Amino acid sequence: MLGRMTPRFDRIVLNEAAAPVAPAPRAPFLGLATLWVQITGTWCNLECRHCINASGPRTPWLKPLDGETIRRAIREAEALGVKEIYFTGGEPFLHREILPLLERALEAAPTTVLTNGTLIGPERADALAALAARAPYSLEIRVSLDDPDRARNDAIRGEGVWEKAVEAVRLLKARGLLPIVTATEITADAHPGPGGMQARFRDFLREQGVERPRLKIMPVFALGRQPASDQPPLTEEDLEGFDRSLLQCADARVVAAGGVYACPILAGLPGARLSAGSLAESLRSAPLYHPACVTCHRTGMTCRNS
Amino acid sequence: MPEQLGEYRRIAVLGGVYSNALALEATLADARARGVEAVFCLGDMGGFGPHPDRVFPLLREHAVLAIQGNYDESLASGRTDCGCGYTDPRDNHFAAISYRYTLEGTSTENKAWLGALPRHRRLKLGPHRVLMCHGSPRVINEFLWESATPNGLLRHLMERAEVDVMLCTHTGIKWHRALPDARHAVNVGVIGRPENDGRTNVWYTVLTAGPDLAVEFVPVTYDHETLAREMEREGLPAEFAETVRTGWWTTCLENLPARERARGKY
Repeated sequence: MLGRMTPRFDRIVLNEAAAPVAPAPRAPFLGLATLWVQITGTWCNLECRHCINASGPRTPWLKPLDGETIRRAIREAEALGVKEIYFTGGEPFLHREILPLLERALEAAPTTVLTNGTLIGPERADALAALAARAPYSLEIRVSLDDPDRARNDAIRGEGVWEKAVEAVRLLKARGLLPIVTATEITADAHPGPGGMQARFRDFLREQGVERPRLKIMPVFALGRQPASDQPPLTEEDLEGFDRSLLQCADARVVAAGGVYACPILAGLPGARLSAGSLAESLRSAPLYHPACVTCHRTGMTCRNS
Repeated sequence: MPEQLGEYRRIAVLGGVYSNALALEATLADARARGVEAVFCLGDMGGFGPHPDRVFPLLREHAVLAIQGNYDESLASGRTDCGCGYTDPRDNHFAAISYRYTLEGTSTENKAWLGALPRHRRLKLGPHRVLMCHGSPRVINEFLWESATPNGLLRHLMERAEVDVMLCTHTGIKWHRALPDARHAVNVGVIGRPENDGRTNVWYTVLTAGPDLAVEFVPVTYDHETLAREMEREGLPAEFAETVRTGWWTTCLENLPARERARGKY
């Protein structure tokens, strides 16, 4: 299905600190609220300039997951009282089993899929609408778009991507689904003035006929294809007086090739790996060792929908 | 020390008063007429509506047994925001207007009263062990929407709390789920604003003990036009008055899951 793939860990691409000088501070673990499934690993049909895990169409450094591993994780998460499930990658719609796996996840909990939108045509939109209608819980579809402007978006995400992603939003909207358009702040400087990117995106979506625009805007992380951060990792001193239970690694875990990881930003990185595959064994404090942890601490961001 | 639990057969439970004294008055009259033994309120007395201090005498005169919501906690502790946790600047803009107005319009005495409220209440309703909370048993501002709250989570929360029935509010839209193991989760709705269905009435809940639990959602009509006019006179946003008059939410939409959002107008 996926061709021959050799897993490869590239320390430079992923900006993982080579050797921490002092033991990293840790985030407590409160309980499993959010399960992330890195379904296609870093396998993607696009190669965006700012991709946090350097996904692309060539041999992925992080392999896709097989259906059975995902079903097992959902079963385990359900028993642990999980509140939400997210599918990400790579591009989840490259996975042969994406629809049955979404269906299985939706039996357990509300489920979100993060997609670049380029593989959602009329037939797939029909299938997603049918799935959403029969599921006991909400199906959320997050479509990535980095700028309402075609040229600015495509300069980051690739030629022709704007057209396909916007068409996906229209197709989903026409079927009563309300996709959450997800952007990074990578073009924020191009949107000065009141409301900034949020206002531009909202106006743009209304122009596309989306009366109930939904948006999620995230900071740009200095990892993956972005230049490495020279910011030192967090120290105990940085975290003094800060409520660490607000960090998403305090109640989220990610199932990806090679094990269970602390957060979706760091999925696949050995330093963030908390177990070899069992969710139960990963439910312990997580090291805040990576420069990306500084961004979460500083911005209070979450990869969840809200 | 084991907690001494109140024991009841029939109670009224309301949530989210949001400074809507007119709806509170109508709700209390309705509940009394239904012969309930006690009225409980799951918090968030202020926000959204006009003249924040007007709801407190009603709550006290009618001996409403209240718990603290995130808004109450924020007001009592002098926080700078309502604690709803929005990230959308438009939602935050309206939330900030409402919060500032309520913070300034709530007396020191009433803030102290809010600060003294418990975070949870436990009681017995016939054979059922009941836990009352604002958002969820674990987090005061956790949103438990019907389409985004799985049975596995409800079971997990109630097992940990050792209860058969869990009552919450916070989202603004009521729902009831009877689990296969005979446990019940109820979001009792709010009386402060309509529930985004194009109707102007608000909702509270009557619970009656029996071999199984009877859950009845009660619609309450009140003089919403007077409320809307008072809001306008107080300089509150026109968007808030529109919600009161039309039954459609106009702000604070960010946290709605797809299914609940699709039912609304905005």
